[in-house]
Amino acid sequence: MVVGKKGIPIISNKEDANFREALKLFDSKQYKKALKLIDLNLKKNSNHAESLALKGNLILNLPANGENKESDSLSYINKAIAKDSSNYLVDHLIGIYYRSKENYFEASKWLKLSLDNGSPNKAILRDLSFMQVHLRDYKSLKESRQIYLEHQPGYRANWTGLAIAQYLNNELTNSINTLSKIEDIITPHLNASDLYEHNECTLFKNKIYGELKDYSKALEVLEGDESKILDKLSYLEYRAKYLLMMDDKKSASKIYRALIKRNPDNVAYYNLLELSLDTINKPVETRVKLYEKLSNFYPKSDPPKFLPLTFIPSTNPIFETKVKEYLIPQLIKGVPALFVNVKPLYKNQSKSEIIEKVVLEFVDNELPNIQNPTVSVWTNYYLSQHYLYKKELIKAMEYINIAITHSPTLVELYIIKSRILKHENKIAEAMEVMNEGRELDLQDRFINSKATKYMLRNNCVNEAIDTISLFTKLDEGTINGCKDLHIMQVNWILIESGEAYNRLYSHYKLQLESQENDTDKEEIQELVEIYKGLSLKRFQSVLKNFEIFYADQYDFHSYCMRRGTPRDYIDLIKWEDKIHSTPVYIRALKGLTNLYFELYEEQKGTPPTDDDIQVKKINKKQKKAQVQANKKRQEFATRVESEKDDSDPFGINLINNLLSDDILTKLYELYKPLIVEGKDLLLTWESLFKIYLYQGKYVLALSAIKNFHKLLNNNGTTTTTTKHCKIISNMLIALSDTLNSDIDVNPAIKKVVEKGIISSYPDFEK
Amino acid sequence: MGRDIIALDDLTINNVGVLKKINEVTVGTNYPQSWYDSILKSSDSIVKLAYYSEIPIGGMKAKTFNNSQSKSNFQEVISSNISNKTPNCVYIESFAILKAYQSLGVGSKLLTWLIEETKSRFIHEIIVHLHTDNKKAIEWFEKKGFKQLTEIKDYYKDQGLENPDAYLHSLTV
Repeated sequence: MVVGKKGIPIISNKEDANFREALKLFDSKQYKKALKLIDLNLKKNSNHAESLALKGNLILNLPANGENKESDSLSYINKAIAKDSSNYLVDHLIGIYYRSKENYFEASKWLKLSLDNGSPNKAILRDLSFMQVHLRDYKSLKESRQIYLEHQPGYRANWTGLAIAQYLNNELTNSINTLSKIEDIITPHLNASDLYEHNECTLFKNKIYGELKDYSKALEVLEGDESKILDKLSYLEYRAKYLLMMDDKKSASKIYRALIKRNPDNVAYYNLLELSLDTINKPVETRVKLYEKLSNFYPKSDPPKFLPLTFIPSTNPIFETKVKEYLIPQLIKGVPALFVNVKPLYKNQSKSEIIEKVVLEFVDNELPNIQNPTVSVWTNYYLSQHYLYKKELIKAMEYINIAITHSPTLVELYIIKSRILKHENKIAEAMEVMNEGRELDLQDRFINSKATKYMLRNNCVNEAIDTISLFTKLDEGTINGCKDLHIMQVNWILIESGEAYNRLYSHYKLQLESQENDTDKEEIQELVEIYKGLSLKRFQSVLKNFEIFYADQYDFHSYCMRRGTPRDYIDLIKWEDKIHSTPVYIRALKGLTNLYFELYEEQKGTPPTDDDIQVKKINKKQKKAQVQANKKRQEFATRVESEKDDSDPFGINLINNLLSDDILTKLYELYKPLIVEGKDLLLTWESLFKIYLYQGKYVLALSAIKNFHKLLNNNGTTTTTTKHCKIISNMLIALSDTLNSDIDVNPAIKKVVEKGIISSYPDFEK
Repeated sequence: MGRDIIALDDLTINNVGVLKKINEVTVGTNYPQSWYDSILKSSDSIVKLAYYSEIPIGGMKAKTFNNSQSKSNFQEVISSNISNKTPNCVYIESFAILKAYQSLGVGSKLLTWLIEETKSRFIHEIIVHLHTDNKKAIEWFEKKGFKQLTEIKDYYKDQGLENPDAYLHSLTV
């Protein structure tokens, strides 16, 4: 796989023969045998660079035979570099070494060098292109793809690969040309198994035409390709879109009607149909009629019934009639999700008032005559949610209590009651009620998760993990699903646990300050350390999952070319490019930021000393107590382990490692992707400001303030709120204070920043 | 609607909480947790939940036993685990429908099922203790053909009821 026959130089001596043999063994994963041969070589000639490089790879791939596997293997790699870094075989092997370590930056560098040094092995280009796209080095990617295609034009995947590279470089026309060329060549030779790939590549090509905004051309090509396209849904969607863009609305509307027929529950089609029929600006009555017709056609679909409620103004009497027609049958039928369905209407307060009137009238006039007792439950359930939305908690509670008294076995009711309690800030009671509901149906995954979450909000982490463990895999010898939750990347549990541990940490830290008794103090101190470490550890595990999400795309660089799914591949790349702004990632980062800054203060305050470790004389009684404490600690550790045989269950080492490291740089590394991906988040600039300030990078700190400010203005709040004003002025004060007290600062920089402050914030007075 | 709005279903380890909740809010007597725990473990249990429009609203628990030994109070009955003899009687331990769902035919459906189940076990007698104050239940069971056998004083002695007496009713099937 790695070095083809072409890559092997002419045998000149015994060493090279041995090396060639070892290389073959390496390729077939017989590492032990290969190592024997290589060792033989090195005994004879310790300067044989190829052998050194291969040995580095072999040590890395062999099962660990000591703790220094990593540094051992690296030392051979470095030796090989020192001996002969212009040997393309050596370069290639070093590239492979770094690829195994997932260090794609180094790996791509060495693979490139191997080619530059004359390696005839063109397969390197394929590997190289995967790394280049992974590193988003699109320019180099295109080059590699181009050369590789010239070398192996017989595979469609290589053409698609080049087209994707061109697309990523925004060379849309070139990309189309590449795709069209292979399409023409391959069309007469297609087998049945190629048809799906053919269909996807055709649609990819068409998608690009669409992006070029030459819709008539796109439409022409699309219609010409119809027989090649198996994905009829995309075909119709593309076609309708182009027609709409070309202002051929009548034809577009026909296709949207066909699409609605295919899937009458897709709201987007109804909106697009209206767009193509030009009804949006027509009188409400006309639009209502349209939807009445559609509703007759598709009586089981929700959108044609619901959508009119969104555009009929509340002042129009039809609204009340229509809302009645929508709500009452569903109340009678007992649709649990009814409130969620109509919730979008609540943004309009007068609509919400009409809804309230309609439902209350139903309760007074019709409900008493209804035989089925469940109708009253669902109605009270609805009203409770209605008042909860309006923040009328007392009324909400009244209605839910009526419902619970009536049907105490209905799980949904407990969820709402619990939420009302949460809004009343009764977090402990909310947790109990949620759990009461959960106990009615242990199989209900939804309420199980809710109960778990409420336990975590109430800082009952152990109970929460035990609860969710009903739905996790329990390996033999484990007492809960904590490890499985990590393996399954259950981010919401990890983030909620991290935040719960963080609250426990703050709680015990406060208690520690007011504690007098020394032995108690020691005990609490330990809890403070443990909860701090656990909190850090859980937050980091969320970040780690995102690293895995990013690393996982590597396999798709080859897989998607092979399967011929360029459209989905592009979507994947685009999604990966913004994963760092995912809300749960930001939450974890926020938690970490606070801890990092705290650790930074701690690091600044106490210079590292070794005399912390005091050997205290312990008497028998204390010893017994200590044994007991250790046992307790051990038991706790088995509960919170995030992986099998976790060497650092409480995250204490994580903290110590950070304390002996450059915390600010570490934190900056975490924020680096957010400078682009999270540029629209206040947290990004607030934290970066602090980092830059502490690092003495005052110019950058000032620009962070400006970005923060700009964001506030962009967010639509034209007048910045007083709270945010205060943040900005606090930042400015901190900046100017730090600047003035910093005696080492370069006077030129000081001047630039001072001027910058005055020019951007003339009102800011020192 | 093709399906019947009333449906019966089995009790499982996951929904024991439902039976407990129904008994808590409808029956005046208390069943200890151990009683619930043992339901699914013992082979003499006959148990069913009733649903109305997919909401669980009723539950019935009975057991088979040999009635040569008679029990004189509630506590003894629910805690007894007797009889290695062949059972010849089904004893209804709890039978409850949520108040809002009574008089809708749920109880009849449960009882019909119980009678069939009893017959399938080659047993021909079903008995039940009824609180002497629970007129509604007495009337209902008698309407279904149950006959009063005896009155037992202080049957519900430990349940903290004002009137601790009970009737023993029986149905031959």
